[in-house]
Amino acid sequence: MATRTPSTSPTPRAAYVLGGNRIPFARAGGKYAQASNQDMLTAALDGLVARYGLQGESIGEVAAGAVLKHSRDFNLTREAVLGSALAPTTPAYDVQQACATGLETVVSLSNKIRLGQLESAIAGGVDTTSDAPIAVSEKLRRVLLDVSHAKTPQQRLQALARLRPKDLAPATPRTSEPRTHLSMGEHQALTTAQWEITREAQDEVALRSHQRLAAAYDDGFFDDLVTPYRGLTRDANLRADTSLEKLAKLKPTFGLGLDAPATMTAGNSTPLTDGASTVLLGSADWAAAHDLTPLAAVVDAEAGAVDFVHGVDGLLMAPVFAVPRLLARHGLRLEDLEYVEIHEAFASTVLTTLAAWGSEEFGRERLGLDGAFGTVDPARLNVHGSSLAAGHPFAATGGRIVATIAKELHARRASQVAAGDDSPVRALVSVCAAGGLGLTALLEAA
Amino acid sequence: MTSPATQVALPRVPGLGGLYGRGAWAAARLAAARGTRTPSPALPDVTYVVDDVRAEPDHLTTYQHLLHEPATDALPAGYVHVLGFPVAMALMVRPDFPLPLLGMVHVANRVEQRQALTLGDRLSVRAWARDLRPHRSGTQVDLVTEVSTAGAVAWLGVSTYLAKGVRLPDAPRDDAERPAFTPPVRTGRWELPADVGRRYAAVSGDRNPIHLSPVTARALGFPRAIAHGMYTASRALADVGAARGDAFTWAVEFAAPVLLPATPDVRVVPEADGFAFTAWHPRSGRLHLAGTVTPLHP
Repeated sequence: MATRTPSTSPTPRAAYVLGGNRIPFARAGGKYAQASNQDMLTAALDGLVARYGLQGESIGEVAAGAVLKHSRDFNLTREAVLGSALAPTTPAYDVQQACATGLETVVSLSNKIRLGQLESAIAGGVDTTSDAPIAVSEKLRRVLLDVSHAKTPQQRLQALARLRPKDLAPATPRTSEPRTHLSMGEHQALTTAQWEITREAQDEVALRSHQRLAAAYDDGFFDDLVTPYRGLTRDANLRADTSLEKLAKLKPTFGLGLDAPATMTAGNSTPLTDGASTVLLGSADWAAAHDLTPLAAVVDAEAGAVDFVHGVDGLLMAPVFAVPRLLARHGLRLEDLEYVEIHEAFASTVLTTLAAWGSEEFGRERLGLDGAFGTVDPARLNVHGSSLAAGHPFAATGGRIVATIAKELHARRASQVAAGDDSPVRALVSVCAAGGLGLTALLEAA
Repeated sequence: MTSPATQVALPRVPGLGGLYGRGAWAAARLAAARGTRTPSPALPDVTYVVDDVRAEPDHLTTYQHLLHEPATDALPAGYVHVLGFPVAMALMVRPDFPLPLLGMVHVANRVEQRQALTLGDRLSVRAWARDLRPHRSGTQVDLVTEVSTAGAVAWLGVSTYLAKGVRLPDAPRDDAERPAFTPPVRTGRWELPADVGRRYAAVSGDRNPIHLSPVTARALGFPRAIAHGMYTASRALADVGAARGDAFTWAVEFAAPVLLPATPDVRVVPEADGFAFTAWHPRSGRLHLAGTVTPLHP
């Protein structure tokens, strides 16, 4: 197999997004209620293999992950590869970075391609809230471990005698932050109030997300990005017929105890979702050898984190700091980007991010700039809808966004070149994540 | 800090279970002997000393997990309090201690940690009482605990207790009212299950019945079990996290007790110098505790 090992290049070369495939996203307890993380990741992988003729192919490396992951899935991605039509000689590894998991797999694999360590790779992510792992209580876990470590029957009995009936209750996974015990929605409600984001503005973001995703499906945009699974052909959360009136009727669910009015509803927050996504990455040589068209280069990435524990910044505000650093490295301004993808964890996450970037005071005092960082034209923002409409299976969101925007970038560049315009076409991808994390990436049309 | 010259060396850190029994007995004896609620204004003129105290790894881990501290080999400042507290308590159950142990309320606590202590350090604990003084609703006293290692004081704690309704003879009334509290924006909350009092009692040895169960708490006038003040203050210290550094002052005042189970709202934020913390009831807005963690500047 020595002939397959690429030579490492002294300077980074380009790593390209060559395509992507995902399964439609289902609402929790819906069509994928019986499917496991491994089932869904395998389905998404096999769809990608079929789409790009990769049957029996030994891919350089596959990286994927899940946020809600059972400890038995310690090799989730490798197991999905072994169950897929890829060659069993395809290496794999798992990644976990909360909601940034999917984007991080794209970033790290692209970097390996850029360094010449890999010629091809598949990035991905999957999550199920329907089939989430359930743990035993901490006390029961401790007792069971002590029983297994016990050397005599007496020691085993002594350990078991510590159990009380309440210790038998299971511990279900929670989405609240371990250090603050506030849910993501409760955290974002604090940020929403701080930036005085209105209910109307949030509902407009949600409506636009549904309308744009529905339009993209109607136009056939997702025909080569989504493979039907278990009877679903479109994202189950998509409401093509929703309206501001319908959204306005929903009762607020987060921020109820604050002085500011509660504005966050089930309509302008992402629902719990099941799903999986994959992205095919490769060098120019590998793409040419496989007769594949590079769609966009993964140019650069920047991670960030904020101290939400001490209320210095909102839980989901890390990208606000990471993006200015990322763009500064390339001498770019927000206004230079043709596309901006901001993951819609909540409609207000998008709006608080834009509000911070648009604030003179924030730009000067927190970002160290001369003034406001910049603005984003809504026409360039989440152009084919985002998580509010599609749903958000945590680790699968990064792959959904990258595959979608890479296709869009390539189409835009092709039409520009046809019109005699050779200027670069760029997209920013920004994903916020639990733990005050954020991951952002810069893509450029190939 | 000046302590009484008369030193009494204890062979080991006393067990607190027996002390509470003696405390209850002493309280009854005090009440019977006096007939009135007027204490004699003298504190025992003695310093209790215990040498060669060491942290025990499993005990430390249990404490750190319960208090949400990272389980490193550094001793959290609240853990050092747990190590030294029984020595101070042994003073409070002496027959000549002028206030009844049961029914005393922990109203404030101040710890000066001059250097980080570590698992394996040989510690010397000295404890004495000082400053018996009137308060608007009774009598206050400070219990001072000093923890040294290698001859240097590393940790100094002052716990202020209030004996409600106990009046010193001819004491002027201190009628200062607590300023009104308006809940700020929370940065998080604590989820305190019903058994957190029992669990902290097990790790700290402070088995005051008011913390153990609704039944034992009702017997002492509380509708439900209440969280240990030092448990809540130590949670706040854990929320400040590593930013507190190795040398700091950790000061807290306790207000309304936390009735268990509870999910108090908390705010832990950086200030110009160090951190401030507050915890309050999410619906009634009643303040539970407020304090600061400020770096000790050499």
